[in-house]
Amino acid sequence: MTGSPRRVLLEWLHRRPGIGTGVLAAPAGLWLVAFFLVPLLVMAAYSWMPRGIYGGVEAGITAEHYRRFFEPLYLRILGRTLLWAVGATAICLALGYPVAYAIARSGRWRRWLLFLVILPFWTSFLVRTFALIFLLRDTGLLNGWLLRLGLAAEPVPLLYTPFAVMVGLVHGYLPLMVLPIYASLEKLDPALLEAAEVLGARPWARFRRVVLPLSRPGVIAGCLLVFVPSLGAYLTPDLLGGAKQVMVGNLVQSQFATARNWPFGAAVSFVLMALVLVAVLVFLRARDRAGAEG
Amino acid sequence: MRPADGLPALARALSHGRISRRAFVRRATALGAGLSTIGTLLAACRPRADAPPPDAPLGPLESRLNIYNWSDYIADDTVRNFEREFGVEVRYDTYESNEDLLARLQAGATGYDLVVPTGYAIEVLRATDLLAPLHREHLPNWGNLAPLFQDSVFDPGSAYSVPWQWGTTGIAYRTDLVPEPPAGWGVFHDRRYARRMTQMDDPRDVIGAWLRYRGHSINSTDRPALQSARDDALVAKRLLKAYVSAPVKAQLIVGDVWIAQLWNGDTVQAQAEQPALAYVLPQEGSTIWADYLVIPRSAPHKRAAHEFMNYALRPEVAAAVSRFTGYGTPNVAAAGMLDRPVPYPTAGELGRLEYQHDLGAATALWDQTWTEIKSG
Amino acid sequence: MRRAVPGWVLGVAGAVYAFLHLPVLIIVVFSFNDSKFSADWVGFTLEWYRRLFERPDLLRGLRLSLLVGGISTVVAAVFGTLLALALSRGRRRRGARSLAEGLLYVPVVTPEVVVGVSLLMVFAVAGIPLGIGSITIAHIAFNISFVAIVVLARLEGMDRTLEEAAMVLGADELTAFRRITVPQLWPAILAGGLLAFTMSFDDYVITSFVAGAGSSTLPIVVYGMVRRTVEPSVNAISTLILVVTAVLIFVADRLAQARPPAGRVG
Repeated sequence: MTGSPRRVLLEWLHRRPGIGTGVLAAPAGLWLVAFFLVPLLVMAAYSWMPRGIYGGVEAGITAEHYRRFFEPLYLRILGRTLLWAVGATAICLALGYPVAYAIARSGRWRRWLLFLVILPFWTSFLVRTFALIFLLRDTGLLNGWLLRLGLAAEPVPLLYTPFAVMVGLVHGYLPLMVLPIYASLEKLDPALLEAAEVLGARPWARFRRVVLPLSRPGVIAGCLLVFVPSLGAYLTPDLLGGAKQVMVGNLVQSQFATARNWPFGAAVSFVLMALVLVAVLVFLRARDRAGAEG
Repeated sequence: MRPADGLPALARALSHGRISRRAFVRRATALGAGLSTIGTLLAACRPRADAPPPDAPLGPLESRLNIYNWSDYIADDTVRNFEREFGVEVRYDTYESNEDLLARLQAGATGYDLVVPTGYAIEVLRATDLLAPLHREHLPNWGNLAPLFQDSVFDPGSAYSVPWQWGTTGIAYRTDLVPEPPAGWGVFHDRRYARRMTQMDDPRDVIGAWLRYRGHSINSTDRPALQSARDDALVAKRLLKAYVSAPVKAQLIVGDVWIAQLWNGDTVQAQAEQPALAYVLPQEGSTIWADYLVIPRSAPHKRAAHEFMNYALRPEVAAAVSRFTGYGTPNVAAAGMLDRPVPYPTAGELGRLEYQHDLGAATALWDQTWTEIKSG
Repeated sequence: MRRAVPGWVLGVAGAVYAFLHLPVLIIVVFSFNDSKFSADWVGFTLEWYRRLFERPDLLRGLRLSLLVGGISTVVAAVFGTLLALALSRGRRRRGARSLAEGLLYVPVVTPEVVVGVSLLMVFAVAGIPLGIGSITIAHIAFNISFVAIVVLARLEGMDRTLEEAAMVLGADELTAFRRITVPQLWPAILAGGLLAFTMSFDDYVITSFVAGAGSSTLPIVVYGMVRRTVEPSVNAISTLILVVTAVLIFVADRLAQARPPAGRVG
């Protein structure tokens, strides 16, 4: 159809290209501003207001919530959360790198192996967490085997422990470590390794000098993808920790539930956001530098 | 009182009354009646036009009803029978603690018609003007309530609430796995049961228990008392499997948990599937509580809510509920229909039991203590 | 020439695969176990699945999750694709464009607790009632980013010469877009949409903050079940959720193969 309205519209768009772009971006942009940016601003405003007696806020400005966050009690929670996140990242790296390496060298099976790594990611997080609860309970499968094999006299408390929370974090985010490392290993030119072998380097040295540095961008990306969600983890410490392990995510939630202290919850949220953004910036900087060197 | 509305309205109240924030806080905590007045003033200042004035006469019966109740706190067929008899479609959601309920209502969840707070939570709801007064003319079955329950310290004159169930908080334990019955809260310090015990995931119940352990009131706002309660709670935490409230029933039945802080009725419910369970009131004392049906001010279906309240006051309905939940019924006629009605505590027991009251401004101190326990 | 992978690496990889998949496989298997509490295999039964159908809250939750997921996916797919087009094709200064692209990632990295909490505050301040509507609004918000990122990646890697050839042959922008660009973009839109739907269907944290009366989606009901019951009904519903997800991935994959007809140009 070459009718006039269409032609007129197109000619008009030609003359003002910016409008076309604006129209395209408008719906999404407006939605994100209204329901992502504005909420964060509202949260910022709340975090500076004093709390009402029964919850809610009163008029006024106060820095007491931010000041309160820097008390030892809350700094301890923050420190513990950072330790969890670092630990989960380290374990995921130690376990995920070999997997990525194996997939990259697997030839025929590559597609299936990749699919099997991605599959847990598509599985509901709640279901995966429940699977771990089912396994780790005192009357669960793992304890059943331990008792049957005579490795334990009575059920070992596995669930509702820091161990369970770490298992949950690693189980949840391991695929996110494997994929970026695999992506960077895949780009590795075999010729480089051959050259190294020809030049007399042994397998471990070949790995350390050639493979490892070239996969560093992937490693850093993988660490980012595990570290950041671990910082904000909420379901895992809640369901697997027996409400005994408090991470920053749980602290925020409790301010909006039990404590009914919205302003303080907002302040803690901001600290968490700031941490996340700092982590992202640090990691991206490191990745770009690693990429440049490679 | 919704958070957003506090902002302009409170600013106005503060500037007009020329009271400092500190004085306002003190006055607000001291005068319960004063709070309702201020609450009404603030509510009047609210820009919302859609909520009808609470005293407006009720319209015709609506076709829908949204109930928000504790989990496992109603008989299997109560809702279904009500739906069939009155032609009302009921949506039924559940929660696990008063704090959950209060948080939801304060966040502006406006869809609920009936909620079931414990006594002290009603104090908070009244103070923040979140309740609609009842129209007694639509509750002809009111007379079925025992005289003791027709009035309450939480809602003088019962202007807002209809009693639902009452009970106590104590210790449930497996008789086949625990050699001697727990005597008191000190059992949670007993190393023999390490990792086999749970306390409730509720600051009022946990801190309250450890306050009683040292002889203080469960409503204490005394800082040293709270600190010693916190320390006792932390010692116990090393030995606890988890903090969990109603969901612990499943673990008691299976045997993952041997000793749990739990309410009497939920213990009865678990006994149905696991006969080797018993309930004991700690010697140091504990909590007695009553839950009430109330209608939030923003409820869209107030007439249907009243019909359900009246329906729940029928003896056979109240008896069915108590038969299922295992809790005490405030309904005199219903109690006569039960084989094993929960007996009201003896004088001796009453001496050890307290009702929880709202803590007012001290809530922040309790929150701090609870966070210290949870993250310690 | 292929290098052999060291044995221990294969061993670790194998153990990791087992670790990732065994827990889920086990609950699938035990959803058919004819025993309420035991962790031993007793016999085969469909009883737990039957019991699921007796739970009106579960069926309602499933309906709500599908509804919210469907609406939010469609809206987010449209908005997100448009946004990706604007970012990729739009004529803007370099700086503004990379800033916008960077900002696109912010919803993805923001912790769910923070998203949920901030939305709750905004709904409270604006007086928006909590319910299905608020949940859908929240889901659209975080899904736009997912779709936009996936589609943008495809756009950047796409060959524009076909479009240019079509326009040289006389087609205007809109026709070229419809006949050339969209078919090439279609798999990416589907991939983004699938990702968005899965995120929405599975979401617990954000939904738990902005849900209201009678708006318990499936994850919220399942969360309650996970905390409360020990009986294998939870295994049954978990298995069903897995099946639904697997079917979705399969369907999306099929749809991606069948592109909309390109037809003749001009």
